[in-house]
Amino acid sequence: MQKIKNPIGRLIIHITLWVFILYNSVPFFWTFLQSLKTKKQANSRTPLFWFEPTLEHYSELWLERVPENFVLLVCFIIAILLALFLFSIIGKHLSVSAVVIRFIILGSIIIILFSIPFFVETAEFYDYFVNTMIVGAGTVIISISMASLSGYALSRYLGIAGVVLIILALAFRSLPRMAFGLPYFWMGQISGLFDSNFLVIVALAAVNQPFAIYMLRSFFKDIPREIEEAAMVDGASRFEAFIRVIVPIMWPGIIATSLFTLVLVYHEFLLVRILTLKNWTVAVAMQQYLGGISDSGSLPLKSAAAVSAALPLLVIILFYQKHLIKGITTGSVKG
Amino acid sequence: MITLMIIPLGLAVYIGFNRVSYSTFNKPVFVGFLNYMEVLLDPSFWEAVFWNLLIILVVVPAHIVIAFIAALILDQVTGRIRGIYLAAMLLPMIVVPVIGTVVFRQLFDPSGLIAWFFRVVLGERFLFNETSMKILILIHSTWISTPFALVIFFAGLQMLRRDLIDSASIDGANRIQQVWYVIIPQLRSLFLLNAIFAVMDLLRLFDNVFVLTRMNPIFHSDTMQTYLYRIAMTVKRLGKANAGAVLTVVIVLVVLIPLLIYLYREQVEER
Repeated sequence: MQKIKNPIGRLIIHITLWVFILYNSVPFFWTFLQSLKTKKQANSRTPLFWFEPTLEHYSELWLERVPENFVLLVCFIIAILLALFLFSIIGKHLSVSAVVIRFIILGSIIIILFSIPFFVETAEFYDYFVNTMIVGAGTVIISISMASLSGYALSRYLGIAGVVLIILALAFRSLPRMAFGLPYFWMGQISGLFDSNFLVIVALAAVNQPFAIYMLRSFFKDIPREIEEAAMVDGASRFEAFIRVIVPIMWPGIIATSLFTLVLVYHEFLLVRILTLKNWTVAVAMQQYLGGISDSGSLPLKSAAAVSAALPLLVIILFYQKHLIKGITTGSVKG
Repeated sequence: MITLMIIPLGLAVYIGFNRVSYSTFNKPVFVGFLNYMEVLLDPSFWEAVFWNLLIILVVVPAHIVIAFIAALILDQVTGRIRGIYLAAMLLPMIVVPVIGTVVFRQLFDPSGLIAWFFRVVLGERFLFNETSMKILILIHSTWISTPFALVIFFAGLQMLRRDLIDSASIDGANRIQQVWYVIIPQLRSLFLLNAIFAVMDLLRLFDNVFVLTRMNPIFHSDTMQTYLYRIAMTVKRLGKANAGAVLTVVIVLVVLIPLLIYLYREQVEER
């Protein structure tokens, strides 16, 4: 539609949009405020909007006890992260290939993640956080490598069976989680893998697979067949053509699908809850801060946990927002 | 995919035929259809099924209308600010549902914003009882499923055929008529797609009911998934829970088949 031109109409549009944004973000904003209050302030019957913020609940959540040289350590970590960031910028101008640089950066972040507990006494929440990272990475790697192969096959195979498989994949997306959770639970108990990250990764990859295949297939369909045929004429096998030619073109699609997988893993509650005893991911760990049926737990601590669990994913997604939206739209609008 | 999905399903059917609890993992006792009968005769199972279907009936139209209107209005805005608006609107989709629910519920706790609003404006306390909890679940489900539909509609609006709209406006159609007669028919498939995805997600609603009610049975707001969870984890009847899981799979398929047939036709045509 053509745009509304007169100023009053534009004002109304912006006001309605703000109302809608309020509807979407007020709860988060409120929780963020709650997490910075003291316990007494948070429980006050008239909401406080102006108060002195305190970080004590965040430190209670992440640390067993605050070490003496805490400020120094934080500065040190920030310095390392800054150095990595600079390195990634300079790296583009060096003659080393981009893959090597990415590996170095990724490796050092992992090393930092695992070495922090040796210097600071971290609380349980940190373990949950690391767990989430492990499970997320594992699921993304397994499910994307499998889904890109099958998505590619489905996009090139045009028989009726291909369509049926895709519809089946979509139908599987909606099947109850309990129907998968319980058998995996049973298998886990029998094989002794219960409560391990491995079982969670396998189960999550299984659940995520259909949607990943569906999405990757719509990306693959956009790639003209001639490209891989040209590669095959030049003497590459089909698999080589796939790895060397198709995957590099597909990179944005693969990133979008990985993001969706990561979101799914991060969001999954029921499956992880069933399959683990103590090796929780962050989403499941939230429940121990919720309190019981009648009491509502410590409000600020709960809010701090919610904020710190939500933030990492939020940062990643906002960073890659374009890819995510592109993923949603290619998967659906174009069919 | 087939090994990872079909085998567990088959296993679920098999366990459903046996009496299994936590202590007798390795020696299940075969009991035939007993578990299935027990679930089918359980009134709270049917209560859960109907409540779940009611959620779908209310939430699907509600969130589609809200998302469509928001997308139309967002389409009017241009430039950098559009991206910022869009990012703010996507919050409920990005943030983990469990956390989204925790955050949502805090507004209604005695110290929360809306509870305060209730006290000041209506002069009475906000109480969690069966009615208010059910309404809360409905509102929250709508709230959390709106952003996804919004993104799809918004992308669809960018791909509209301009010439049709232009000719409609030359013929003297006002804005509402343009939306109703030109835009909505063009976006018909997107409406259906949103409905399909929403139905699929709502059929396995668990997280927000779990957090909102804290599994307290007085609210009578079990969905199919929380019902199974209660049997598997609280009552510890794995066999019965598996039988129930198989039955919910059947129900889900019944609900989905019309939608899937439609999708199938569309895909075959496209090919």
